[in-house]
Amino acid sequence: MINISIRDLRRRVEGIIGLPTIPSTLRQISRVIGDPSISLKEIGEFISNDPALTSKVLKIVNSAAYGFPGRISSVSHATVLLGLNVIKGLLIGVSVFELMQNTMCGLWEHSLGCAVASRLIAKKKGLEGYEDVYVAGLLHDIGKLVLILEFPKEYEQAMEEAEIKGITIFEAEEEHFVTNHAVIGSWLAEKWLFPYNMIEVIRYHHKPYLSKSASIETAIVHLSDILLRAEGLGFAGDPFVPVVSPVAFEALHLSKMDLREILEEMRDSMEIKEELFLS
Amino acid sequence: MPKVSADKLEPGMRLARSVTRGRLLLIAKGTELTEEYIEKIRAMGISAVYIWGPSHPAIPKEEALAQLDRRFRFVGNRPYMDLLKEVVREHIENLYD
Ligand SMILES: [Fe+2]
Ligand SMILES: [Fe+2]
Repeated sequence: MINISIRDLRRRVEGIIGLPTIPSTLRQISRVIGDPSISLKEIGEFISNDPALTSKVLKIVNSAAYGFPGRISSVSHATVLLGLNVIKGLLIGVSVFELMQNTMCGLWEHSLGCAVASRLIAKKKGLEGYEDVYVAGLLHDIGKLVLILEFPKEYEQAMEEAEIKGITIFEAEEEHFVTNHAVIGSWLAEKWLFPYNMIEVIRYHHKPYLSKSASIETAIVHLSDILLRAEGLGFAGDPFVPVVSPVAFEALHLSKMDLREILEEMRDSMEIKEELFLS
Repeated sequence: MPKVSADKLEPGMRLARSVTRGRLLLIAKGTELTEEYIEKIRAMGISAVYIWGPSHPAIPKEEALAQLDRRFRFVGNRPYMDLLKEVVREHIENLYD
């Protein structure tokens, strides 16, 4: 067990984005989106000033998996259509790619697949805020990235332990750290000024029954995470499928046909990676 | 959703993504390919397009199903996990048909 109080850990996590191990683009992005005085328009301008960032954001929103009808041709168009939360989420999502590849290979695919599946389920359930559920899915495991960057040796041990003991990485984390990636992710979401519901989804995605104000959204990300692991797409720190919360599963009330369709979209979404980062 | 190279296209295949040139839409997604469309695609020098249907997985079916069993090894008998596993198994099997 790492000897650090939860308060110190939180301070360290919130400061991590300023560390030299974090690429300067991500550090800058974190500063921009965590600044309450910055407007959507200014964030759009920030993206537009970076051609690589612009092209990645546009490729994602125009990808088949995103399913936005019609073509979004500029960042300013995207900010108007998709809103602040999606733009902020995508910015973080594309800028952590390399870090994830180098620390927990497969976590990016896991995150993107979770975003796509979550959005689809949210739409099926008729939720108006399905874009926010997409972002929560995209960022749900960002706490893992922070833990592995800050405590590489201990995290490696936790992953090994999970595999040997046949437990999930979430359970192994709780034995090695004072808290887990879900809580850490929620700290970051708070720092980045995401809405309260999204913070709660990230915080409780492994314990969906604890969510009070966003129980359906939390159940959605909880199930999407499990479906990705069940299908064997991406990697999230351990080789096992976590148990689904029966209450969450029942609340979503999905048919076998719904599940099949979700699996299909998840698999298709994996292709965007090549388009984004290998071309 | 596999990417199929232009010389392997056949009439009856359906586009999973629109064929575009820059911002110009050439053939809309969902279109069923005809000889004419295929010729058009080749003539424009487009090397490959996305076609509806399962991508061909990288590992043999038996291995994919064995991996599925391993992933579910500790949870297969928990509530709803048998159902999820069954749906995923069917989905994976379909990738190979
Ligand atoms: Fe997680
Ligand atoms: Fe996850």
